[in-house]
Amino acid sequence: MRRIEKFLVVASPVGVFALWEILAYLGWIDVRILPPPSAVAITMVVMFGEEGLLDHTAATLLRFFVGMAVGVVPGVLIGLTMGIFRWFRAFTNPLVALFYPIPRIALFPLVLILVGINETSNVIMIALGPFFTMLISAMYSVLNIDRIYRDVAENFETGPRHLYTLVTLPAAMPTLMGGLRISVGLGLLGTVAVEFLVGESGLGHVIWNSWQVLSLQRSMAGLVVSAIVGFAVYLSMDLLERYLVPWQKKTAPV
Amino acid sequence: MPPESDDPAVTSGGRSDPAVGIRICGLNKSFDGPEGELVALAGIDLGVREGEFLCIVGPSGCGKTTLLRILAGLEPQFGGSVDFTVDTDGKPLQSMVFQEQGVFPWLTVLENAAYGLTVRHVPKDRCRAQARDYLRKLGLSAFEAAYPSQLSGGMRQRVNLARAFVNDPAVLLMDEPLGALDEQTKMLVQTDLLRLWEGSNKTVLFITHSLDEAIVLGDRVAVMSNRPGRIKTILEIDLPRPRDALELRNNERFLHLRRQVWDSLREEVVSLESDENRAPSPSGAPLS
Repeated sequence: MRRIEKFLVVASPVGVFALWEILAYLGWIDVRILPPPSAVAITMVVMFGEEGLLDHTAATLLRFFVGMAVGVVPGVLIGLTMGIFRWFRAFTNPLVALFYPIPRIALFPLVLILVGINETSNVIMIALGPFFTMLISAMYSVLNIDRIYRDVAENFETGPRHLYTLVTLPAAMPTLMGGLRISVGLGLLGTVAVEFLVGESGLGHVIWNSWQVLSLQRSMAGLVVSAIVGFAVYLSMDLLERYLVPWQKKTAPV
Repeated sequence: MPPESDDPAVTSGGRSDPAVGIRICGLNKSFDGPEGELVALAGIDLGVREGEFLCIVGPSGCGKTTLLRILAGLEPQFGGSVDFTVDTDGKPLQSMVFQEQGVFPWLTVLENAAYGLTVRHVPKDRCRAQARDYLRKLGLSAFEAAYPSQLSGGMRQRVNLARAFVNDPAVLLMDEPLGALDEQTKMLVQTDLLRLWEGSNKTVLFITHSLDEAIVLGDRVAVMSNRPGRIKTILEIDLPRPRDALELRNNERFLHLRRQVWDSLREEVVSLESDENRAPSPSGAPLS
């Protein structure tokens, strides 16, 4: 990356925060509604020290990763199978069409009744978004594999195991990575949403609970920590992509 | 070569002629198109001699690729018969060299070259050794760990050739493998291909739209007619081997053969052009 671009990557977020701080200092924005970054930062440090913000962060991360795993792994496996086998696609596609468009958060009461108010129902709720996203992107990633690769595989009389590991899976991988990036966003959204509703721990709980007692600085501190978590997760996607799709020229913006 | 195999139309299919490696009789193929049935091939009769390099030229859309795909086993539905009588000696029967995009972008050069052996469960060491052997012959040794996207078009097509040659089939089916390359690169890869093939006793069917390429490479050149495709004529290319793709183009015999092939092909191209200009377009309005 060129030097100027490196500078711009850092300059844009720093600029926004600086502007925010200055406007708050000048009194152009109401600090009771939008506390300046410095105040939020101080609150954050205090909360890490005295109110177990670190434990809340850990709880959120744990829920997020478990939910992602529970959603992504079966989603990819079922989606790939749907892409490979016509009959399986014919059988499962109507079910996907039926359940995918339901607003997932509306299923929460049902899940709570079926599973109970516990961590399992939280994980199920977090997993639903990544599950459907990975299922659909895995199916289309297989369906969109260039015909010439199937022809090559067929011409060389590739057996099922090699067809899967040497052709189908790598050919599907770039599309799967795209799906995973979207799933990560949905997973974080689901995690915080679940914590809003039933959590007794987690960043979502901190944000919602602080807002209910009108402690906006604490609510904001929780927001900032969850933003940092999201940023870190998103950046780690670049590393994962470099590892899983090494043949593609890197196009990551950061 | 026995005289009877000079006849392109091998019709008496009883006794097997040792010189014929692939016997194609009355081959028909049609597709369901938007405007009804589209006849791609109408009665192809062709005897491919064992160990020969046969080039097929024809106007665009004449069904050259369809013919090759049938031979490659990629089009299971067709009329007529295709018999491979070539002696495989335990080797795979045929491998296809696809157009440029046929190289797997997610495999390294070495993995691509070894693909055929890998999927036949040949031990990894032997896969690699044989793949490296051909990569060395094609000047790709330094790039064995590279991905195809890091290579030039000419190098990618060398990887494509390597993949087919490493698989060591009795018959190589090549579908315009050098079509996308620029002239200079094309000549270099042609030279490499000739070097690999001469002395390999493989039977090659090579599709191209370039007359020069067909004559430089082939023992015979088959000219196909407009769609529906038939074999129109077959010309013997009696240029001595080993051939040099770069030198040959100024050879007088080469120019004479080129004129002969072109005379045969020209009628087809001209009639195709005039068909396209006169026939009403699909919507019914006349073109230009």
